[in-house]
Amino acid sequence: MTLRHYILLFALFFTNWLYAQNTRFSASASKSEVATGEEFEVTFSVNANGDRFSPPEFNGFQVLGGPNMSSSMTSINGSMTVSTSYSYYLMAVKEGTFTFGAASISVNGKTYKTNPLRIRVVKGRPVPQGSSRPAPAVPQEDFEESQPEKLSNSLFLRAVTDKNNVYQGQQLTLSFKLYTRVSIVESQVDKIPDLNGFWSEDIKNTNQNVEWKEETYKGKQYHVAVVKQTILFPEHSGNLRIDPVEMTFIVRQKAPARTLMDEFFGTYEDVKYKVKSPPLTVRVKPLPTAGKPQGFTGAVGQFKAEASLDKKELKANEALNYTLKISGSGNLKLIKEPVINFPADFEKYDPKITDAITMNTSGASGSRSYNYLLIPRHEGDFAIEPVRFSYFNPASGRYETASVQGFEIKVNKGNPSENVVYSGAGKQDVKLLNKDISYIKTAEPDLYKEGKEFHGSVWYYLLLLTGPLIFAGALLYRQWDKKNNSDPLKVKSRKAGKIAARHLANAQKQLSENNSKVFYEEVFKGLYGYLSDKLNIPAANLNKESIAAELQAKALDDRLIRQLLETLDLCEMARFAPVTGISANEVFEKAKNIIYEIEDKL
Amino acid sequence: MKLKISFNSLRLFQYLILLIILPLVSTAEDGADSIFKKGNEQFAKRKYEEAVSSYQKILNSGYRSAAVYFNLGNAYYRTGDIPSALLYYEKAHKLDPGDEDIKMNIQIANLKTVDKTDPVPEFFLFRWWRGLILLLSLNTLAVLSIVFLLFTSLSFVTYLFTQSVAVKKASFYTGIVLFVFSITILFLQNRQAHYFNIHHEAIIFSGSGTVKSEPDPSSKGVFVIHSGTKVGVDKKDDGWMKIKLPNGNTGWIRETDAKEI
Repeated sequence: MTLRHYILLFALFFTNWLYAQNTRFSASASKSEVATGEEFEVTFSVNANGDRFSPPEFNGFQVLGGPNMSSSMTSINGSMTVSTSYSYYLMAVKEGTFTFGAASISVNGKTYKTNPLRIRVVKGRPVPQGSSRPAPAVPQEDFEESQPEKLSNSLFLRAVTDKNNVYQGQQLTLSFKLYTRVSIVESQVDKIPDLNGFWSEDIKNTNQNVEWKEETYKGKQYHVAVVKQTILFPEHSGNLRIDPVEMTFIVRQKAPARTLMDEFFGTYEDVKYKVKSPPLTVRVKPLPTAGKPQGFTGAVGQFKAEASLDKKELKANEALNYTLKISGSGNLKLIKEPVINFPADFEKYDPKITDAITMNTSGASGSRSYNYLLIPRHEGDFAIEPVRFSYFNPASGRYETASVQGFEIKVNKGNPSENVVYSGAGKQDVKLLNKDISYIKTAEPDLYKEGKEFHGSVWYYLLLLTGPLIFAGALLYRQWDKKNNSDPLKVKSRKAGKIAARHLANAQKQLSENNSKVFYEEVFKGLYGYLSDKLNIPAANLNKESIAAELQAKALDDRLIRQLLETLDLCEMARFAPVTGISANEVFEKAKNIIYEIEDKL
Repeated sequence: MKLKISFNSLRLFQYLILLIILPLVSTAEDGADSIFKKGNEQFAKRKYEEAVSSYQKILNSGYRSAAVYFNLGNAYYRTGDIPSALLYYEKAHKLDPGDEDIKMNIQIANLKTVDKTDPVPEFFLFRWWRGLILLLSLNTLAVLSIVFLLFTSLSFVTYLFTQSVAVKKASFYTGIVLFVFSITILFLQNRQAHYFNIHHEAIIFSGSGTVKSEPDPSSKGVFVIHSGTKVGVDKKDDGWMKIKLPNGNTGWIRETDAKEI
């Protein structure tokens, strides 16, 4: 390090020290001895541009105004002097000796403190304690404490609600009111509370000018103006805090007269004054759970509901407008879409919501309309069921339900081309789409009377039985036949008639040919053959005597036997000689009758 | 004597044939027949409404026929009344389950209905079995069963009385085969009758109806059904009908919303 550097460092240090030496921060009071109730001024002055000034605590004194800051800049022979002073108007309240603590200020990054100040307070006129503003429930902000009590009494903000104890969702009106007894030159809103925990809607004031009213508050007359009005809807239950609104005013005040001229004309000074409204707590009760209707969607207030439908009869695929209008006062904007049971087959679109809600000091009121566009796709009779709109009435503390009428809708057949919905047409369906129905059947129809179907009818069962019956008959017949034919003699005797008949038939033929010889032979053979078979007499033993004996044994009457024997004799004779006395026809008839008779009796 | 017997048996056989043939040949009065022809002419001239009333007249006079149902369904189809068309197609199908035209038109008419219900997949044997019992109409089966049973009997009778051993053998086996056929046909007939007895079906006629979970208008709607849909009818109760969709969904609708097939 060279010497030059040392010199520079020293010079820098010295300069700093030099400046520090020059900065003076001092406190002074206009009086060192004051009486109670007397006003006096305390000034903190610094001969530099300082910042972060913090005043001492003025215990035992009331701050009436301040800090009033004044700066002056003087340039004498090229050297500039800057001085800043902070002054407070104080009023002694209690007797005694008080010492102000040090005020501090920061100049060029260095903090300076003032010398302590001693003030003796002697008994003076009493200070009216009662008129002072009551201490708010919450701790006062520091800076407010530092305000002159006189101003805080004559200019303040209040947050006022029309109700302090509400149900969740019940609307309340919040007003920030300005109370003043002093003249305000200028005002400016610094901070508007967030209103956390509420859904809020400002009341728009159409009047540009502030309306001043006279109001008596705590026994004093004030000019009152409403700074801001908001409708609040508590979003949840509990103790909800409304944060303060902060404003800055410039107030024109009478300044203490210092000179005769001042006293004569009166001096005023404009004082900047920051005001905060005291915070407010609103108690919010939860909505009762008892008796809460099913379709409750959070509406709190007094409501009416009505529904309208633009048409009751329409064609399929035409549009239909259903409007549900909820009117009344309450949290209309917070009402959730009511549940409406439209026919399941209607195409439904999201509702168009139209609000006609006015916000005024008495709260939010008006109406909210839900307009639904519906498109029935199919014909038929439909019903829109009545809607039950439930809300909580804070006035009665109960849930109430407004019933809305239902509607009957007749949907006629629409345009068929639009009506056809090919949904999920598979391959098969697509293939079929190009086909038309098969043509009608033109062949003669198999008509039958209802209930007279062939299947199940009596005829059916009878016919069904024919097959088995034929078979059963055949079976029976075969059995009977077998039994009949098991004895050859009996069969022979049974067939005798037939053989005889054949011979007789042959004989008749011969007779017609006048072949009498052969005729008699045939009759003879026929009779003999018949008797042989019938009486079961072997041909060797066959003669008239054996025949007669056999017939007699079978108890045939003698006349018949005699006739038979005669005929047999006649036939035997006729073979050799012509027959007289009896015609061939007679013989034939006789033979036939005999066979019939024997057949009958045996 | 002999002549008399043979004559009698011939006459008996003639009666028998007549008894079999008679029910097959149309016994309808000429009235119904001519109305049917008139309806067909009206249909051919595209006068579908008139055709509908002609066919309805036949049905109103108490006559039933698959052809009449089918033609009526076609006439309704042409007038655009799809639910009615389907109702009569299904009625025709019931009388003549094997008819391809009827099956085809049911399929085509179904394309114009709204609801497409995918049937629950069925075990292929059940599907085959249903196809088999619905192959022929009940009346055809009835005539077939009579004829088969008759020929079975004749075969066995031949077997009983023939002298030739070859004929005896042939007629015996023919009889056995015919007998098996007859029994099968009788069984199919019985199954088909049973099938239609337990399978009650209906066609939905209301354009759009909500199917409820209970037979009570205030009960919950289960699903929506549209006209022309064929549903199974499980049971009926006090003006309500329990329906079942091919996809297995069930619910209640008013009886007036559907017509039974």
